[in-house]
Amino acid sequence: MSKRRLKESCGVSAECISQVQQLLRERFCHHSSAPDKLFGLEQQYRYLLELLKRTTLQGESNSALLIGPRGSGKSTVLNRALKNLKETKQVKETLLEVHLNGKWSSIAQFHVWFQQFRLLQTNDKVALKEITRQLQLENVVGDKVFGSFAENLAFLLEALRKGDRSSSRPVLFVLDEFDLFVHHKNQTLLYNLLDVSQSAQTPVTVLGLTCRQDILELLEKRVKSRFSHRQIYLLNSFDFKQYMKIFKEKLSLPAEFPDESFAQKWNDNVQHLSEDKAVQDVLQNLFHHTKDLRSLHVLLMLAVSTVTVQQPLLTAAQLQEASRHHRNDSRANIVHGLSVLEICLIIAMKHLNEVYDGAPFNFQMVYNEFQKFIQRKAHSMYNFEKPVVMKAFEHLLQLELVKPLERPCARAQREYLLMRLLLDNKQIMDALQLYPNCPTDVKQWAASSLSWL
Amino acid sequence: TPRNATPEIPRRSHAAQKPASVLEEARLRLHVSAVPESLPCREEEFQDIYNFVESKLIDGTGGCMYISGVPGTGKTATVHEVIRCLQQAAESDELPPFQFVEINGMKLTDPHQAYVQILEFLTGQKVTATHAAVLLAKLFSTPGPKRKTTVLIVDELDLLWTRKQNVMYNLFDWPTQKHSKLIILAIANTMDLPERIMMNRVASRLGLTRMSFQPYTYKQLQQIISSRLKGVKAFEEDAIQLVSRKVAALSGDARRCLDICRRATEICEFARQKGAPDMVRMAHVTEAIEEMFSSPHINAIRNASLHEQIFLKAILAEFRRAGVEEATVQQVYQQHVALCRIEGIPSPTVSDTMAVCSRLGACRLLLLEANDKYLHMRVRLNLSQDDVLFALREQ
Repeated sequence: MSKRRLKESCGVSAECISQVQQLLRERFCHHSSAPDKLFGLEQQYRYLLELLKRTTLQGESNSALLIGPRGSGKSTVLNRALKNLKETKQVKETLLEVHLNGKWSSIAQFHVWFQQFRLLQTNDKVALKEITRQLQLENVVGDKVFGSFAENLAFLLEALRKGDRSSSRPVLFVLDEFDLFVHHKNQTLLYNLLDVSQSAQTPVTVLGLTCRQDILELLEKRVKSRFSHRQIYLLNSFDFKQYMKIFKEKLSLPAEFPDESFAQKWNDNVQHLSEDKAVQDVLQNLFHHTKDLRSLHVLLMLAVSTVTVQQPLLTAAQLQEASRHHRNDSRANIVHGLSVLEICLIIAMKHLNEVYDGAPFNFQMVYNEFQKFIQRKAHSMYNFEKPVVMKAFEHLLQLELVKPLERPCARAQREYLLMRLLLDNKQIMDALQLYPNCPTDVKQWAASSLSWL
Repeated sequence: TPRNATPEIPRRSHAAQKPASVLEEARLRLHVSAVPESLPCREEEFQDIYNFVESKLIDGTGGCMYISGVPGTGKTATVHEVIRCLQQAAESDELPPFQFVEINGMKLTDPHQAYVQILEFLTGQKVTATHAAVLLAKLFSTPGPKRKTTVLIVDELDLLWTRKQNVMYNLFDWPTQKHSKLIILAIANTMDLPERIMMNRVASRLGLTRMSFQPYTYKQLQQIISSRLKGVKAFEEDAIQLVSRKVAALSGDARRCLDICRRATEICEFARQKGAPDMVRMAHVTEAIEEMFSSPHINAIRNASLHEQIFLKAILAEFRRAGVEEATVQQVYQQHVALCRIEGIPSPTVSDTMAVCSRLGACRLLLLEANDKYLHMRVRLNLSQDDVLFALREQ
């Protein structure tokens, strides 16, 4: 649709809608773009801010771990604290930052967060080069680090040893996915960083971010002794009332939105939505499954994408639709796309599972079960040749609805490979209910497993 | 490496702040890095090591000493103190002059790099590991009339282990040679390291001069804190005692003790902003101890979402039914659906349950198999059933 036609169709301009879309998309997709508000994380934020302040201003060495489930706002809190801290010029000139990630971080996070490259630090060698590069030590030429692994380590340690508390710039090491650093050989990098933080050298602060609760048990004893056991836990410790508040906050437009009257209308609508019973049900359902705010973002994102010029305000129906998309059972969707023969095979497997109490089966058993069904039925419209049935079975295998117990080797015949069905009974029955044009006798056969024996 | 690169961290443009209050002063002194001139409670060990090195220095012979103890008992600090005292004595001509070299197994990328570092300390040459080994062997085996004694500290000795143990063998073989004048102080954590991982010929060269550092008792820990806080009135006596008793009961690690005290001053400072007096009390210390030692699992479960909690309950139910502490997701899912029916909540789809399961697995409340088995993936609890019950009940 062209822009002009859009404008004519409704009172709200297309630009306005696109601004809303852009603003909210940025909010939901870039978790890092400094959030307006921290929900229930004030205490952790203050702790972290104090810690970083002492590091930069007094040159105190520290180490701490931020622990919390995925999506609980670990990086958000850290970014917020760093942003706040760097507002003063003095700090900005003082603090050196090194960001390391245990694994590849997505391109999107890459640019927005620190305009610095974060690379795959899969072993200490790469991590060390990255540290040297980010610190811009003197063995860095351009963007390349020279020297062997051993030389790099010696060089870095020497550099850190020469510094002291009051005269050198403090260094902040942020180790994202901290648990992956634990698996490096001998935990050399962790030992050295923590050792520097515990000795009178360059002031460093080591911050680890992880979602594992048992992280301390993974550290070697001497590494653990050097870690100062400051653990900051981020648990989504809000209840549903606060969750509703977060929902409102996330969906509202800010005061500096250009079209004020529309922003007012939008925010009123959000307020109205939050009191709607249907919306509350949708949110309650999501809240019961996960308190992760990222899931909420995905849901809202799906809903906001459906906002158009024709329908500029979000409705409860749109949210419900989004929730349906969000909470779809993926396996059931696959079953909907199968042919009747494949469905029949799945039902045969389900019966085998029920009769033999979940024991593994092979193609021959499934085929026999299927044959029994056809023989009982007078008109055998599903009387396919065995190769055709085999083909259908292999299709199920490709979709991973069926999985062999062990890797298939060349010697074993395909008919006699032991398999398991990767579907639950409930899933099969639910899918059958929704299956378009399901033959009645197949439905009956599915419902009654034992009567056919 | 570019030639003549100087390893250095940039200097700061603004001077670091000086401690402004009593608590900040205390925090500065309590930092682990603020090692005192002489370590309290380690006088005996200090004397033993000092005598050992001194006698070897005077005789002009070589020798080895093996020092062991759990982390945080002051091994490295004591050895450094010994070296410092010896250097002072050598400067005032009471002892013959000596060289001092230190390597740390953890700071090497490979055991063979030890040769490179030692050679660089001694002669300033930078060569490859194999070449360095040859040069060092030559250096220690040929008589040099004017050679000074070398004191070599090998920290984290167990990291120098290789399959053939040639690094350890060489290190302990050099002092036995007539002209080497090499004194080695080897430091590691375990007491029986020579018997456990070393070959006989290596262990025999290490010799029997051994010393083990015992974990600190609560009185010693108390003394350590008090000595650091001398002249600063920031802590109540009882608070110090509580920290020392707690830490001594757990590990006897002095680092832990100092960290807790430091955290306690922060908590106290925070409370002071609300107008409380200026002294670390029992309450602050208790809070710090809680923070550092408490198990996070219970809290994690209490803050989990409803279906995550039901999933844990379903696991318990399934364990009780089967009598085995392991179940497949499918079995747990059936229990989960049943529990939802009892509670009157709409039961989740399999996809949702799998998501719940993997979330719990990511926090390591559960131990999971590889994900590709889908419904047949086996699940196990990573904490005791009692803990789960306790966490779920109190609501």
